[in-house]
Amino acid sequence: MNGNGHKMQVKNLSMYYEDFKALEDISLDFPSRRITALIGPSGCGKSTLVRCLNRMNDLIEGSRTEGEITLDGQNINGPGYDVISLRRRVGMVFQRPNPFPKSIYENVAYGPRLAGTKDKEKLDFIVEDSLKKAALWDEVKKILRESGQKLSGGQQQRLCIARVMAVKPEVILFDEPCSAIDPISTQKIEDLMAELKKNYTMVIVTHNMQQAARVSDYTAFMLVQEQGEPGRIIEFDDTNTIFTNPSDKRTENYITGRFG
Amino acid sequence: MDARKRDRIATIVFWGIGLVTLGILAFIIIEIFGRGLITALSPSFFSGKPEAKQVGGGIGPMIVSSLYLAALSMLIALPVSIGAAIHMAEYAREGRFNNFIRFCLDSLATLPSIVFGIFGLTLFVITFRWSYCLLAGAFTLALLNLPILLRGAEESIKLVPQTYREASMSLGASRWTTIKRVVLPSAMPGIITGTVLPVGRIMGESAVVIFTTGLFIRTIPLSPFDPAAPLAGYIWYAQTEATVLDYRKIVNGGAAILLILVFLINFAARRFARFYAKRKQLEVKF
Repeated sequence: MNGNGHKMQVKNLSMYYEDFKALEDISLDFPSRRITALIGPSGCGKSTLVRCLNRMNDLIEGSRTEGEITLDGQNINGPGYDVISLRRRVGMVFQRPNPFPKSIYENVAYGPRLAGTKDKEKLDFIVEDSLKKAALWDEVKKILRESGQKLSGGQQQRLCIARVMAVKPEVILFDEPCSAIDPISTQKIEDLMAELKKNYTMVIVTHNMQQAARVSDYTAFMLVQEQGEPGRIIEFDDTNTIFTNPSDKRTENYITGRFG
Repeated sequence: MDARKRDRIATIVFWGIGLVTLGILAFIIIEIFGRGLITALSPSFFSGKPEAKQVGGGIGPMIVSSLYLAALSMLIALPVSIGAAIHMAEYAREGRFNNFIRFCLDSLATLPSIVFGIFGLTLFVITFRWSYCLLAGAFTLALLNLPILLRGAEESIKLVPQTYREASMSLGASRWTTIKRVVLPSAMPGIITGTVLPVGRIMGESAVVIFTTGLFIRTIPLSPFDPAAPLAGYIWYAQTEATVLDYRKIVNGGAAILLILVFLINFAARRFARFYAKRKQLEVKF
């Protein structure tokens, strides 16, 4: 790949829910300040894989992993690795917008407050700055004290992005961020991602191949061969190659819409 | 018979059932107020001291006893039940043990209050040598209400969407911080409305107070270790034991006051839950 280094690396990762093997032998590098897309049919393990990257799967009883995931070269599953600092460095935007039942301001201030920021001026600055980065400031600057849940779906999703921004992460994971919102909001979020690429490493899970082609630099195609088998990476390359000249027949079939 | 006709009949039947329920409730309220409202609303009755030997006694100390007892008992029961509910909903692994606890709680919830009364008498009044007092009653009633409060709080906590917890944890919050800052505030309106039934039960409970707090006092109780005479118990006492000639008046007036108190508490709890939800900008319906 190119010379700007790998922010996160996955090596021979397998992941289990109880006895069920959900992922097998995943190896993948996420280059710094690039967008990597994970595509593949439903149930192929894309979401499971991104949730390994900030250890959100820890919340599910009976889940465990084998293999290695590193952030800046450090194994995030290693003993003594601080999962809280991991989640602050690797932020996440979920499939359904999930603002807290709090005001717009408090939604964005949630992360900084957790980190112990109490100073009003500092919080005001972070809130404004984060909402600007999420391209939402102009729409909400007059209604900061109103509930975040009163916003439209697309605005809520950008509020969730602002909430992540406020924590100052290094990596942002997007788990099908546009599957529950309208095309115009989707456009805004894609533009936003292109803008954020200057400073952040991003991973996006998407069902929408056009979206993967539009926003990402690299694309990994995942697949479950037979029902009940674990998800595997079939092909990983730069997005252009994946979409114009895939080397695996199965990738080509998926890209051209022959299944999935 | 065609579908439209059947639908009409069903509509009429369910309307009818609804009306009958409403009618019974209205009848009870009218009956109680008809007999006792005038007495209940006279200041010499609701704020006066009870008499042991002559007519014209009031029930002031009894009203205070009831309210004091309810407050004290909830003060004991609420923190314990919320804490236990947090454990059961957020920390405990689902499985046999948790289900066993739920089974015990549900059994405890259906235990007749007289059993709790005797338990309270044996433990607090006799063994602890507290004698008849508010605190003995409060602890006994806390035990009585614990199952229902706990299950209510657990349900309210479980109704908080999982996505809130995920969002909070993904921002680097620990489990406890998530509970404190996101889960509990969202569950609070439900927990508050869940206290209405237990408070009503305390106000209406006579079996427990007969055994734990006492039945007749003439001065307002101040310390939790003072004997007390909650209204429901005093109504029973006036009807069956009292030697005053106007005991019917005391019983009817007391019943009306009890009804008013329960209405007020119910109304206040709902208003408070709604106010809280609004202030915290929660989208909840009541």
